[in-house]
Amino acid sequence: MAHFIAWRLLATLLLLFIVSLLVFWACEILPGDVAQVALGQYATPENVKALRIEMGLNQPPLQRYLQWLVGAVQGDWGRSLVTKSPVSGLLSERVANTALLAGITTLIAVPLAIALGVVMAMWNGRALDRGASIVILALSATPEFLLATLLVLLFAVNLGWLPAVAYLSTGSGLGQTARALLLPTASLVVVVTAQIARMTRAILGNILTQAYIEMAILKGVPGRRVVARHALRNAVGPIANVVALNTAYLVSGIVVVETIFAYPGLARLMIDSVQSRDLPVVQACAMIFCATYVLLILLADVMARVFDPRSLPQRPMDAI
Amino acid sequence: MADGSMMTGSSLPASALTRRAFSAGLLTTGLLAGSGRSLAQGTPKRGGTVRLALFQQSTGDTFDSARYDKGNDYIRGTSVYSYLTRMDEKGEAQPEVAESWEANKEATRWVFTIRKGVSFSDGAPLTTDDIIFSILRHREDKVASTAKQLIANISSVTADGPGKIVFELAQPDVDFPILIGIFQFALVKNGTYDFARPIGTGAFTVKEFQPGIRTVLVRNPNFWKQGQPYIDQFEMFPIPDASARANALLSGDVDMILELRGNGIEQVAKSSNAEVFVTPSTRYTAIQAAVDRAPSNNTDLALGLSYLIDRKRVLDTVLRGYGTIANDHPIGPASPYYNAALPQRELDVDKAKFHFGKSGIGASPIELSMGDGVLYSVDIGQLMQREAMRAGLNLQIKREPAESYWTAVAGKRPFFATNFHPRPTYNMLLNLSWKKGAVWNFSHFENERLEKLIDMTRAEFDLAKRKEQYGEIQTIIHNSGAIMIPTFLNYVDGVSKKIKGLTPLPIGSLGGFNFTDRIWLDA
Repeated sequence: MAHFIAWRLLATLLLLFIVSLLVFWACEILPGDVAQVALGQYATPENVKALRIEMGLNQPPLQRYLQWLVGAVQGDWGRSLVTKSPVSGLLSERVANTALLAGITTLIAVPLAIALGVVMAMWNGRALDRGASIVILALSATPEFLLATLLVLLFAVNLGWLPAVAYLSTGSGLGQTARALLLPTASLVVVVTAQIARMTRAILGNILTQAYIEMAILKGVPGRRVVARHALRNAVGPIANVVALNTAYLVSGIVVVETIFAYPGLARLMIDSVQSRDLPVVQACAMIFCATYVLLILLADVMARVFDPRSLPQRPMDAI
Repeated sequence: MADGSMMTGSSLPASALTRRAFSAGLLTTGLLAGSGRSLAQGTPKRGGTVRLALFQQSTGDTFDSARYDKGNDYIRGTSVYSYLTRMDEKGEAQPEVAESWEANKEATRWVFTIRKGVSFSDGAPLTTDDIIFSILRHREDKVASTAKQLIANISSVTADGPGKIVFELAQPDVDFPILIGIFQFALVKNGTYDFARPIGTGAFTVKEFQPGIRTVLVRNPNFWKQGQPYIDQFEMFPIPDASARANALLSGDVDMILELRGNGIEQVAKSSNAEVFVTPSTRYTAIQAAVDRAPSNNTDLALGLSYLIDRKRVLDTVLRGYGTIANDHPIGPASPYYNAALPQRELDVDKAKFHFGKSGIGASPIELSMGDGVLYSVDIGQLMQREAMRAGLNLQIKREPAESYWTAVAGKRPFFATNFHPRPTYNMLLNLSWKKGAVWNFSHFENERLEKLIDMTRAEFDLAKRKEQYGEIQTIIHNSGAIMIPTFLNYVDGVSKKIKGLTPLPIGSLGGFNFTDRIWLDA
């Protein structure tokens, strides 16, 4: 196991390196450099030249990439070209915000979704399953922006119970933060739960048709015990992967929710910095997103291995 | 002061030359009479926090006034820094840090008297050295300044004793007191190049600044305007989504928002706690032709296109009535300079056909480059496309990405949309966009007579003569085939009913982006 993890971590580093090269190359070929974009309508040749020198863009691309790489390896993400402040400072609040929203959503959505999925798989084809399936299908087909906007209209504008935007002042108390995060969390929980629950139902439903489950039932093992001990165990691997992908999505892909609730998170920062061609910030975001995906999937794979029945110590057959 | 020289400034009585004629900001005067609603009422009250939602989210937010190019920065600037002058609702320069000013009769030498007792938020007094640096730094090679073109006319800035600053101009400029008050000429400390921790002489000091996230400003107790500002704290943060922004105002999470759009306007107008704040202005979205290349160097082609614009429909459906119809030149109908003798161009498919026939364009496709980066351009283009079919023109719309629009599209494609905010004076706008080689001459239009007229208006104190010169300028631009201006766009913002003391200024949203030191909360 340790060997497996070590290899995967090594591969992750290699992947991050390749991604950083690709991101750098992509930013170089985008039309308009950071100086031109920053000056917009005022991009006269003199102004662009002055700003390029100020930003250190007069050096050749390879040298700029190497400078960035040397810094990044030592944990120094460099300075934003646009704000001139350290990238780490620019990221810190956004990372905390994104982690908070993704964390809370995951904590609520994952147990809820798996429970729902299991119940639906156990009552496969019956009224409960069908009813839940229809609701979940409808919710997973609803775009986040629609759901979020409807929630805002109802709870913030009409009823006035909750704030319309998830704006956090520095030093907001726990109550204030919870109130601000309620609506964005709710819209994300609905979307993510629907996804995971459907996948769980499909995975588990598939396992429940397998011969060894039939064998267990024929042997007289009670239904709940069949699901809990025999079926779920084999479902952990695939479900963990689905959860990992959804969590990674919460870190990098929720730009719509961030926009509607004006919540300053990483996804929005990535888009802003690509638009302003602020390479060090783009790189830092890309590294974080890439690392999140790879590490979460690694975690899912580790869980799959741990829960793989074949990894258990052999027991006599009659213990079943 | 020598005999015959001109005087102005608040401390001086009105001379033979009226203040009104003196100011070139005349773009505004008539506009205010009708629609602009003033929120000034009652006596100001102290205290409270005001929150403003911005519509642009950008990590490029800055306190370096040389880099200012959007409302976010302008509002931050007018809150934390002071300026020599400020433009008022009538388009005239009003004293701020400069108490009064006077010019020689050629308007090439301007002497500003500086207010005593103004100090920075760190306690240091504001000196003439600071003021000179604040102006001249825009000329330095290492400073990329959005005011580089404007500073070009200043040949020297010197101190005359501790209380006077003397500006020598290369060309006469009767509008100079307005020019020196623009957002870029914020007063900063001598030798400052890093604005991470801004120190100004303005109404507020910076408590927290996170570019693209939030700005928190607190009242500067030592502000030189006695008793001002009235509010204790001012916060601004972006809500880029238009409906989310309107919702935040309706739910009371913010007190002011920039740029109401679409249905949000009606929702706010109906609501009990907020209202629509309209600022009539001469902001415009234009379609320009690059006259230095084919096919856009074909004047008939551009004139034909200008007859394909249903201006009334643009005003009613795209702008929802918040604007005025324009006549393919940048002077607003409310301006005293407006040339009413010039016939209004309207949708006329026959005239369009006539010009297209003359142009010899035939069936070759014509492409309009537009994009979401240029307000309403795509909507205007689509309306034109419908009429083009009737006129037998193969008109295509190309959507261009917003972020590289000004470097890769404007001035680089045959026909493209541009968007201009009004400048404090028409002369400033004309200088920046209609002179050979000027920064915003995206059409690359060159016309000697036009350039001469622009210079003449800047040196002319007499209103009647100026009006005549401006009249000819409008005719030249109207017939240039270089620009189509369908409508002028009002600024439409949303403001809570608690906010008092706000008056519209036609150069920008929410009191011309300059309001934080005069608003108060009436809960």
